[in-house]
Parts: sequence; C-alpha cells; structure tokens
Amino acid sequence: MAEQPGRVLDIITEFANIGAGSAATALSSLLDVELMNDATTCEILPLAKVSDYLGGAKQVVAGTYTYLCGDLKCGVLVVLPSDSAKALLQHLTKESVELSALNTIQLSALKEVGNICLCWYLIAVSKMISVDMIPAPPDATVDLLGAVLDMPLASVGAKVDTVIAVHTQFKALDREFEGYFLMLPEESTLKLILDRMGDPRQ
Amino acid sequence: MRDQTIVGIAQMAVCRAPRGLACLGLGSCVAVILYDPAMKLGGMVHILLPKAPHKCDSDEKYADTGTRKLVGELIAKGAKKERLVAKLVGGAQMFPNLSLSISDIGNHNIDEVKKTLKELGVKLVAEETQGNRGRSAYLNTENGSVTIETAFSATKTI
Repeated sequence: MAEQPGRVLDIITEFANIGAGSAATALSSLLDVELMNDATTCEILPLAKVSDYLGGAKQVVAGTYTYLCGDLKCGVLVVLPSDSAKALLQHLTKESVELSALNTIQLSALKEVGNICLCWYLIAVSKMISVDMIPAPPDATVDLLGAVLDMPLASVGAKVDTVIAVHTQFKALDREFEGYFLMLPEESTLKLILDRMGDPRQ
Repeated sequence: MRDQTIVGIAQMAVCRAPRGLACLGLGSCVAVILYDPAMKLGGMVHILLPKAPHKCDSDEKYADTGTRKLVGELIAKGAKKERLVAKLVGGAQMFPNLSLSISDIGNHNIDEVKKTLKELGVKLVAEETQGNRGRSAYLNTENGSVTIETAFSATKTI
C-alpha cells in the first residue's frame, strides 16, 4: 500500500462513490427531493486531524453510526449539519423540531434515515465486490462533531494511528439540505476491497 | 479569549499561564487535565482508548500510558507530584443503543485513567464524565479551573 497510495485511494473512492450513489437515491425517494452527490474525497489522516478535515470538532451535527461486522470491518456514518437535520426531521414528522430535545419519534426517524442510507450504501458495494456485509443496528445522536466521531475512531484507532476517511457529500438541488457519508475502513477491510476491485500492486 | 493550545485526539500539551489548553468535542474520549497551582503549569492529554497494548504505537492514545507520560512531562517542567491535581472530562457513551463491545469504551477509559492516577499518587479533585453528551473542556492556567461547554446545556466550571 505504501508504494502507490494514490491508486489505492482511487479504488476506494470509486467504491465509495457507488455506495453513496445508491444511498442518495434511496434518500431522495424517501424525502421526495432530488439529491446530488458531489465527488467522493478520500484522505489519509492522523486521528487528531479527522474532525478538522470535516469542518471542526465544535460544530453541532446529527450523526447516525453503524459498524460492519463479518468479513468487512468498517465504520459507516451519515452526518447532517444541524440545519439540515432539523429540516429533514420537520419534513418527515410534520412537526416542529428542537434538536436539543428530540422526542422518541424524532430520534427514531433520524435513526431510520441513517439506517436506510447505510443499507443502500452497503447493498451497492456488497454486490460490487461479492462480500456479505453485516451491519449492527445503527444508533443516532445530535451533538458536537468531535464527540460523534470518538467511538467510530476508537473502533479503528485501536490498530492504527492514521485513518482513511472516505467522504461523499450530498446536496438537495432545490432545497437547503446537505450532508455526507463517512466510511472508516479497517486495514484488513481495505485489503479485501483492493483485492476484489483489482489491486494496483499486481 | 486568551491564547490557547487545542489538544487533538492522541495528543498531549503542557503550558504555563497565561496560555490555556482545550480539548474540543469529547465523546467517549477523555481529557486528563493536570495542574500545578504553585507554578501555574497545566497539562492535558486527549486519550482515545483505555489500555495500551504490549507494543504501543503512541503513548498519548491510551489512558494508562498517556496519563503517565503527562505526569512525567509536567515533572520534567518543574511540577511537583504532591502538588498536582487532576480533573477529568469526557468518557460519555455517545451511541448507547449500539450493541457493540466498544459501546462502553467511555467508561473503560475513565476507569483506566483513575487507576493510573491512583498508582501514581495524583489527586483527582473533580470530574465531569459519563452520560451521553459531548463536551469541550478549557483549562484556565491562571487558576486551574476547567470550563465545560456542551452542544445544548449551559456552560459549567469545575
């Protein structure tokens, strides 16, 4: 991996693009808005720099997190800035939403949105590389970005000092709504993805 | 606001008044904050995981090795262990409904820091830990007070 990090990142980026495309389509039909994915970016970052890369540890975001068990070990997050999370929940629940005090229905709606995105992301990529992916049921919270990222980073950080953050932004075409998917693969998972998608080292 | 150093995940910093120290957006991570009032010398380490493996990649990432390294660094800068006071912030459970072994990592982090502080004989005087909300911690090196900010609640000082 050390020899050609650029090509490795290209492959991972392509992988994430396909997953994110599928997730955005599912989210589009759920919300009945047209969503557009921006290009996926893929960065190798030290643990301390991940939240800066995503815009700063202190911003308030809605995060839905799940972790893949099985052959592929990987954290997957759907992150919405607070304005977008509020707009999305108001759209879905047809009631006014206070992010500081979400009720059970609202929190459940947030989890479900994350769940749908994550599942469609996984369906697309697992088909592509023919590997079964088993996600743990997701959980969601609205809090400081740094805090939302702690557990995902702790799950991959046990083995490494740097993480590969795979980031795909999505945006609504006609509304103020945006967010991103973040994938944090473990190294064994990276190897598997590279093997299945054509390892540039070979 | 006065100048401050931001301490990121798996990082450590030590400084003297008037410069402050801060850890932003702590979830399950723990900020171990040590202060020597006589020297107005403060230190912070932002730990991610409880116990360092046998072959450790970075001391600052783990509760046990990070806490030890911070105490050592403060003593090297002239602090006395008997004067040091410790405050802890963080160790929350951000995704309590996620059924993974790592879900409880915040508690493990806190336990390991407390154990290490006890072994080293450093007094723990205050903590703002556990729960399920993220926190930012700011150390005022003039008096050793730690201000805690959250996303939605009022600011608190310990």
